[in-house]
Amino acid sequence: MENILNNPDELRKVRAALLNILEDTDDLRRSAVEERNKTMAIIENLTDGVILLNRKKQIEIINSSAVELFSLDKKTAEGMCFLDLVNRDSTHQFKSILIDEDKKRIKSVYREEAMGVNELHFEITSVLLKDNEEERGFLIIFHDVTKEKLIEKMKTEFVSVAAHQLRTPLSAIKWTIRMILDGDAGAINDEQKDLLEKTYLSNERMIVLINDLLNVSRIEEGRLLYNQEDAQLEDIAEEIINSSQEILKIKKMKLDYNQPTKLLPKVKVDREKMGVVIQNLLENAVKYTPEKGDIKITIESDKKNVIFKIKDSGVGIPKNQQDRIFTKFFRAENVTRMETDGTGLGLYTTKNIVQAHKGEIWFESEENKGTTFYFTLPINKQ
Amino acid sequence: MIKKILLIEDDKFLRELMSKKLVNMEYDVVSAVDGESGLAMIKEVKPDAILLDLILPGINGFEVLERAKKDPEIASIPVIILSNLGQKEDIERGLGLGAVDFMVKAHFTPQEIVEKLKSILD
Repeated sequence: MENILNNPDELRKVRAALLNILEDTDDLRRSAVEERNKTMAIIENLTDGVILLNRKKQIEIINSSAVELFSLDKKTAEGMCFLDLVNRDSTHQFKSILIDEDKKRIKSVYREEAMGVNELHFEITSVLLKDNEEERGFLIIFHDVTKEKLIEKMKTEFVSVAAHQLRTPLSAIKWTIRMILDGDAGAINDEQKDLLEKTYLSNERMIVLINDLLNVSRIEEGRLLYNQEDAQLEDIAEEIINSSQEILKIKKMKLDYNQPTKLLPKVKVDREKMGVVIQNLLENAVKYTPEKGDIKITIESDKKNVIFKIKDSGVGIPKNQQDRIFTKFFRAENVTRMETDGTGLGLYTTKNIVQAHKGEIWFESEENKGTTFYFTLPINKQ
Repeated sequence: MIKKILLIEDDKFLRELMSKKLVNMEYDVVSAVDGESGLAMIKEVKPDAILLDLILPGINGFEVLERAKKDPEIASIPVIILSNLGQKEDIERGLGLGAVDFMVKAHFTPQEIVEKLKSILD
């Protein structure tokens, strides 16, 4: 050190070296700032609202979309505590999605839907940012899906209106054929009668198809369940079983229904929709089982659920198509070959109704041996 | 005594079919094609029962029903809704307004509709 200080030449070299280092650092600083500006410009101009929180849940970065969304100005927003930001009437839906009230924590969510001000719909995502297991803050994204929602609504309304409109000419056909068959327009011969009976059935199928379409549009509208009440699932099942004796007789089938030995716990259901579920499963079992086959229905319960089980000795579902059986409009190859009629909407509707009741549905099936469908409904604990 | 039925239905063909069935079953039938004239006809002819469509030009069936039930002179006449609406909301609204039954046209035959009428009139 002494040597260097006493040596002007050395001193000059050191100075040059230091200046070099400083210059490099400055370059790096400048490019860091440039990078930051670039990132900020990207975040700022995203159409999604973006908010970055620090560890203390204060707003560190908020882009203009988010500022607009909360109708604030940027200066006020920065540094603000996020809990205060969502603690307003207009954003109560955001709050209930993002804040865990018990623990005063922010929840991690992925594409949860919420409505904000001015009837705008958002999908909210929040991500916990971590750095070596240490929490760094939260990234919250508000994605505007108002337009998608609107289109979805228009589509559903269209289906709904179209279905109602279609019913009118179908009613006219139904009434006309029935009146001719009933002799309201004079006597007809046997051949005419036979042809008209078949036409009548075709028309009935069309009416069923339209009802199925309406159910589907309801599913997609999210308005599937209407009136939920406490009920015994076995009551609903017995009603459907009783009204299905005719179709069982036509196919000479035996339906084995074991009444539960004890009263099962109550479940909370939309009776009409649950009727549709059981009806669909029973109709499928009848339709896809050859004459003189067997169907067995069992209803039981465990600690959490009431379990409905329907087993048939039918044609089964081919292995390679089992994963698509609940998809809309899908019909397995073996049953389309049988020339049975069907819309491919039954199981789709069934599954959606069961799920809307927070239940589950599944099946076991072997081709040419039979199929067993199961569904569960959570027990109403009150 | 022959019972008089008022049919409020805007579709011409459906109206003709239903009228024919009712006449065949020995009812006296009068009909109206929209809500306005339907309501006027209820007051004028005082039918024994009404078959009411919901989607009608001008004032719709729900409104006809609501006004009819508010008029003490005609409030007691039984109304069966005969419509191709049929979502639960529609059904509850119709029954809530005082209809005795809600029948979806596409789900019933004329015979079944007349039988329902008969059970109400008897």
